[in-house]
Amino acid sequence: MSRTATALKRLIVGHPISSGELGHTLLPKGIALPVFASDALSSMAYATQEILLVLALVGLAALSLVVPIAIAVALLLAIVIVSYRQIVRAYPGGGGAYVVAYENLGFTAGLAVGAALLLDYILTVSVSITAGGDAIISAIPALADHKVGITLLLIALVTLANLRGSKESGRIFAVPTYGFVVAIYALIITGLVKCLGGCPQAESAGEHLEPEAMLTAFVLLKAFAAGTTALTGVEAIAEGVPVFRFPQSKNAAATLGILGVLSISMFIGVSWLTDHTNVVYTEEATRTVVSQVAHAVFGGGPMFYVIQVLTALILILAANTAYTGFPVLASILAKDKMMPRQFRSRGDRLVFSNGIVILAVSASLLVVIFDANLNKLIQLYLVGVFLSFTLAQAGTVMRWRRMREPGWQKSAAINAFGGAVTGIVLVVVILTKFKSGAWIIILATPLVMFLMRAVYKHYTYVTDQLANPERKPLDRRPGHQHMVILVEQVDAATARAVGYVRSVRPADLHAVAFDDSVRDDWAKLAPQVELTLIPTGESRKARLKKHLRSLRNDLGRDDFLTLVVPEVLRSKGLWQILRQPGLQRLKASFLREPGIQVLDVPLDRSEAQAASETHRSIEPARNYVLVLVAGVHNATLQAIEYAETLRPTDLRAVSFGLDPEATEKLGNDWLASGIPHPLEIDDSPFRDIGGSLIDYVHRFKPDGVKRVVTVVMPEFIVSKRRHQLLHGQTALIIKSRLLFERGVVAVSVPYPIED
Amino acid sequence: MSNNPGWLDRLTKPPEAVRSENLRKWAETISGATPIGEASEQRRHRVAGVVQNIRIDPRQGSGCIEATVIDGSGEILAKWLGRQSMSGIHLGAGIVIEGMVGVGLDEEKVILNPEYQLVPGPERG
Repeated sequence: MSRTATALKRLIVGHPISSGELGHTLLPKGIALPVFASDALSSMAYATQEILLVLALVGLAALSLVVPIAIAVALLLAIVIVSYRQIVRAYPGGGGAYVVAYENLGFTAGLAVGAALLLDYILTVSVSITAGGDAIISAIPALADHKVGITLLLIALVTLANLRGSKESGRIFAVPTYGFVVAIYALIITGLVKCLGGCPQAESAGEHLEPEAMLTAFVLLKAFAAGTTALTGVEAIAEGVPVFRFPQSKNAAATLGILGVLSISMFIGVSWLTDHTNVVYTEEATRTVVSQVAHAVFGGGPMFYVIQVLTALILILAANTAYTGFPVLASILAKDKMMPRQFRSRGDRLVFSNGIVILAVSASLLVVIFDANLNKLIQLYLVGVFLSFTLAQAGTVMRWRRMREPGWQKSAAINAFGGAVTGIVLVVVILTKFKSGAWIIILATPLVMFLMRAVYKHYTYVTDQLANPERKPLDRRPGHQHMVILVEQVDAATARAVGYVRSVRPADLHAVAFDDSVRDDWAKLAPQVELTLIPTGESRKARLKKHLRSLRNDLGRDDFLTLVVPEVLRSKGLWQILRQPGLQRLKASFLREPGIQVLDVPLDRSEAQAASETHRSIEPARNYVLVLVAGVHNATLQAIEYAETLRPTDLRAVSFGLDPEATEKLGNDWLASGIPHPLEIDDSPFRDIGGSLIDYVHRFKPDGVKRVVTVVMPEFIVSKRRHQLLHGQTALIIKSRLLFERGVVAVSVPYPIED
Repeated sequence: MSNNPGWLDRLTKPPEAVRSENLRKWAETISGATPIGEASEQRRHRVAGVVQNIRIDPRQGSGCIEATVIDGSGEILAKWLGRQSMSGIHLGAGIVIEGMVGVGLDEEKVILNPEYQLVPGPERG
């Protein structure tokens, strides 16, 4: 990248951070509360409003029921908080609902919670940011027409901030969260004081309401279910125990307690004021309930605007917690083989970029589909919340029963009661919200589970295949190398390929050409190598394939048949692929041809021009062979056997950019495998494997004439193309960069995985 | 921005340089550790750093493990012979090694069979 381009990227996304700088700082309670509670507290901005919307259907008289319903929801919140204080004690290592469910209730429960949480994180972003947009519009009603645009803009800003990543985010959280709490308390206390002399009335007080429904038990349940949105975000503390200061469990439990007290008092306070200022709220209202209450209590003064700004900020912070949660969960799921492995890795700035982008795109899509309508979006919410509440508590009960720590019966009873209550609420939520939107989630959750299960089955199958049949290195005679040079024209690249192949001294060697015009030049370049003309007929690809297949049939199982492809590269990078699509497709198609390897001998155009007009083949004196490995399995062993047939000056396996734990495992497996070659495990501190490999290659100072570096890449090939997506494109990306390095020869050794 | 002429330089400062600075800051907190760049040959030293590179070389006798350790001031090769497992050594690990500093084939600093202790590194927790 040019200096300006680099500077521009740094300016927007920031400096790359080395994997090392991941180190976490432990949070004191005072900082942990805003970090983890912003999600839970932010729902105070819309929970009362949701209850009111349901009650409005019954008519003005029913609106007073908002207080008793809020008290019922607060009671539920208290039960869940007490129960989660036990979960925090049971899981000092962080009891994310997924981990708890998977560990104690098995694969399917883990899958269900994983899927529910992924969808929930997406909804958290859509709901919170939409509500944040509503708060802004309440302050400046003129913006009402641009609601979708404002919401999407906010999502884009939060996404960008998260792609940058931040180490000091804790302090950034503190100001708006505490500010919001203080502002809401100021609102409640001022309101109460003013009510002593007759409550101020909201702008919508006395509006006419046409009753559309009777007051039935169903409507009451529906209003209750709508209010339970106040519970969202409570689980965040249980997931974050490891970042609390010591004693971690105790501090986390205390923080949960504080959160409970704050949420309950704020929720009941706001609901009481809503009732006494006689707010009437319908779908058509422009201003949110909280803003109407604030307007009634403070008038249109500065405090009104302060509340709007703080509400918008805390809602954006709440969305932000999903931006931390979603990518981490996706990476845990990827580690457990339930999501594509691309989600495991961090990007330039040490954040899980893939997860962040997927989250932002899905949330934006929801906002567009639902037209940034908070009430419609909220209907999809809560199913996932209560499903994970219930399974996490049930899982913890199982854990108490298994561990039988002193006093476990009491804890287990608390969790069992909490789980039963949230289970009932889950049913209530599904029943009352099914028609208005919950059905989408009820359909989507099993669908996501099904996809995750398919990914899991595929990865497990591949792992089995790679270990089966068990191969031991060098327990048989090494195979012979048979090579075929593809001659499209006789140029500097062809000459270099002939020199390379000579140094390998294969058991058998010949050249193939599609037309006879190259015969004379070939005879000058390599008179002793027989040139076979491939008969005309179908496409070139099909003819070449047929030729190689018939050769392959005569070879032993352990022999190698290599197609050598000389190539003069005319343009940089991807343009090359666009320029010579035929050749690239041909090479790619041989990946799927069992028992055939493709060896690329590329030459840069400038290098080709510098080579003299009369092409002479020069055998390189040094051939350093590197085998790229990520684990010890059959595909690796096959690639090493292949590398051994190349008569290397030096043969070594190299590995880049693995997780730290994975490097220890790879080392142990290598020591145990008895492979007689050195393995070098190198860091790729900025997670750019291609760049690290190229730096490594440069150590051998390849010039292409006397010194060549051969990079052998084992690739496993799955028969279904869509499955190939699950295996990343690392090999392809590395290959496209290696081709442009002077003196580098690249070989793919495919290992087919049969279905 | 105009009154701060270095801003472009700061933005394009190689990430490797930033990393070295951070490693130095961390290594200075480990008591009794000599910066690798200042560790003189043929003397016993205690150095602290991060494992940058691991090499397992069966040709040098079974179970030969080498680790390149860096601390921002230089690099040193720790070499253990005859080991059947990695025993906690992994990339990015914080490590304190102690032993006689020698010179290897490529003029690099080497400690043979050092005593070592894994410590929480500045990187990866």
